Amino acid sequence: MSRSPIDDSDLRSLMTRYQGADAAALDELVRRVSPLLLRYFIGSRMSRGDADDLLQDCWIKIHRSRHTYRPSEPVIPWIYAIARHTRLDAHRKQRRMEAREVLVANVPEGLHQTAPEAAQEESGFDRMIAGLPEAQRETLVMLKVAGMSLEEVARATSSTVGAVKQRAHRAYETLRRALGKERGDGGLSR
Amino acid sequence: MKRYGGRWARNEEMADYHAESEFERRLDAWAEAEQLEPRADLQRELSRTLRASLKPVKPLPSNGVLLLQFLFAFVACATGLIAILGKSGIHIMTAAQVGGMAAILASGSVFFALHLVSRIIPGNRIALPFWLGLALVALGVGAAMALLFPWRMPGAFVAEGWPCAVLELAIAIPAAAMFWLMARRGALFASAGLGAALMAPALCLALMADQAQCMFPQAPHLLVWHGGMAAMLIAAGAALGRIIARRLL
Repeated sequence: MSRSPIDDSDLRSLMTRYQGADAAALDELVRRVSPLLLRYFIGSRMSRGDADDLLQDCWIKIHRSRHTYRPSEPVIPWIYAIARHTRLDAHRKQRRMEAREVLVANVPEGLHQTAPEAAQEESGFDRMIAGLPEAQRETLVMLKVAGMSLEEVARATSSTVGAVKQRAHRAYETLRRALGKERGDGGLSR
Repeated sequence: MKRYGGRWARNEEMADYHAESEFERRLDAWAEAEQLEPRADLQRELSRTLRASLKPVKPLPSNGVLLLQFLFAFVACATGLIAILGKSGIHIMTAAQVGGMAAILASGSVFFALHLVSRIIPGNRIALPFWLGLALVALGVGAAMALLFPWRMPGAFVAEGWPCAVLELAIAIPAAAMFWLMARRGALFASAGLGAALMAPALCLALMADQAQCMFPQAPHLLVWHGGMAAMLIAAGAALGRIIARRLL
């Protein structure tokens, strides 16, 4: 089942008004689209704080690129394509910072990350999703959470419909196998 | 045996059915999980920041118009360069050589222009992945040079070759800058792919002008001095894109 949380035709009219400098349309867009973007960033194994930061970065990029939206095109793939670049930039930045990090022998108590506790709270299925490769998890978030079509996901990820189908299929297979292991049998394979 | 076998198969089918239902249920539950709402103060801050620079903007023209603009720039530059540099190379090539090279370079230019249009508009449809298209064009150019031209070694391979390579470099760099100026009207996200995507149409232009004036239509000369320089410049474009992406972060 895929959901359609936002009507694209509504968004098209809001985007057109936003391009015409309508502040009310901007507020409405921020209100409607931000929850989707936040879920997308958190779906990329990101903490809430980092996701909030990325949400701000993403809106600044959307604002700077708003002239590249054409009213004849769907809004959701346009927004997700920008969100994807924002996430990729953040990922590169994080890798760069990690490479420069100095190893500290004893990390002070207060600086320990809360990831283990968060991991305990995570359900088994969430952990399975978190274990998927980034491209497959991203495809699942777009298809299942944002309710986008294969064509829209292909547009948002600058790939082809065939490549999206393949990534989704691989993600489903991996999840089916992991569920099968959890139950104690070999899992399903389709 | 048959009876037990049939029951076994039915049990397996039932198990598969239950497992699939369980999978669907958990996937849907995950998708429907907590609907995250951004913090109210964050939303207010976002709206306030964006409102501060809210001005009317004119949407970019359609993909077709953008494509025509790129192609017009390409044709105008190619015509001008051939007029300036001369077409003595064309006169000493056979019709098959001229036709083959022109067809491949023109197809490459259309593909790269199409790709640039897709790249500068977020969420645009991609017909063919860039690196696959680039590999096909490179293969086509290499095959045309190797198969349409004779395998004769010119007398002074280096002395005759390096001026062609330098000319290609001298055309490709400003042409890539011109395509960048045209592309930056859209949304550009620095990456290795963007560097290569800007360099690729510039190289088609440079190869076309270089070939038109080249007096050494032999496969080794073309592959090393024309094709080799093109490969180096594509790699340099990708490396530059990568460096800029890292520096920006």
